[in-house]
Amino acid sequence: MNTKSQLLCAWCGIAFLVLFTIGWVFLARFLPPPSPALSANEVAAIYQQNTGAIRFGLMLAMIAGGLTAPWVAVIANQMKRIEGDSPVLTYTMLVAGAAGILVLVLPVMAWTVAAFRPDRDPELIMLLNDFGWIFFVMTFSPFFVQNMVIGLAIFADKSDAPVFPRWLGYFNIWVAILLVPGGLITFFKTGPFAWDGIIAFWLPLVIFFGWFLVMFQVLLKNIKQQALAA
Amino acid sequence: MSQTKNHVPGEVGIWVFILGDMLVFGLFFLVFVYYRGLDVELYRQSQAALNQHYGAFNTLLLLASSWFVVMAVENARAASGKQAAKLFSLALLCGAGFGAVKFIEYSEKLAAGITITSNDFFMYYYIFTGLHLLHVVIGMGVLTFLIIKARSPQFQASDMVLVESGASFWHLVDLLWIILFPLLYLMK
Repeated sequence: MNTKSQLLCAWCGIAFLVLFTIGWVFLARFLPPPSPALSANEVAAIYQQNTGAIRFGLMLAMIAGGLTAPWVAVIANQMKRIEGDSPVLTYTMLVAGAAGILVLVLPVMAWTVAAFRPDRDPELIMLLNDFGWIFFVMTFSPFFVQNMVIGLAIFADKSDAPVFPRWLGYFNIWVAILLVPGGLITFFKTGPFAWDGIIAFWLPLVIFFGWFLVMFQVLLKNIKQQALAA
Repeated sequence: MSQTKNHVPGEVGIWVFILGDMLVFGLFFLVFVYYRGLDVELYRQSQAALNQHYGAFNTLLLLASSWFVVMAVENARAASGKQAAKLFSLALLCGAGFGAVKFIEYSEKLAAGITITSNDFFMYYYIFTGLHLLHVVIGMGVLTFLIIKARSPQFQASDMVLVESGASFWHLVDLLWIILFPLLYLMK
């Protein structure tokens, strides 16, 4: 039993949260997000005033993104215990999770490009800033699919000793649905459905982070039980 | 089926979803009330364009449907699956009626040039009622599933967990509307 590798992978999820928070929240200070209603000059000023911290913070956030790969793998490994030798939902989760890494890393790179030459035309800074934020907040589809199939796999578990508790299935489907409002940001520059709004941004963000913590608890329990049973 | 004092309807997991959903709609309602407070006049004027009769009729439809669901669960518990299926079908019919009224209502608004971008009030109106309508559609899928279950000759006591879970979800659909209706159509 590869208990140690599994534990390492699970802890990568927590490492992602910590590193991303340090880089993206505390150094780059991207939380709360800049309003989409800001003018080009106001946006450019953000990148001009905090250039060094933004560059370094985003570098950490980029590194954090890769840590979600082992995290996705350990979830897939546990899902495969449910599905056995025809693990289609597990494969779907893996593919969606792999795409999810890009959804985390690509916006970070767009913001990095903006911070690379902060004295360029403010309109161009705004374009890159828009690209980063819209990519980051709106792209719910891979995460939606990821959470949905985790939920479906849990419901499909008919064994006497299910791998995951059933409430976790409902939880994952709830999380999947709550990521969807991000899709609305394309229509709004202010209010709750804008990219800095409570429903389109804060709610999915808190729930996405919370999902890591909940899954982590259950994964640890599963891995330990697996080790004991072996 | 245990009928103890501490009986939780359906499987416990469904309540993670139901309470989670209520939490989110609760947040929606707070957001609406907050932004309404910033521009009460606009919200009042826009509200006047809504047809309260449609809203009230839909409230009656959902209340009736919930009552049918309650009676269906009672019948299912008494092991008369056929009767339960009939009552679930009536609830399903109410849900379809709700959808039809909503369709007419949306069509009228759109024909009058009122869309999601008209103003903030109508943004909330379309998004909140749209999300609720999605719940109605999912709920109708759940009711259809329960009808098939209850009709089957193999219907037995252990299916009660499914029946109660599905019924609880339908009551959630009803409950959300009962808050949404006064908030959008009536609040002065």
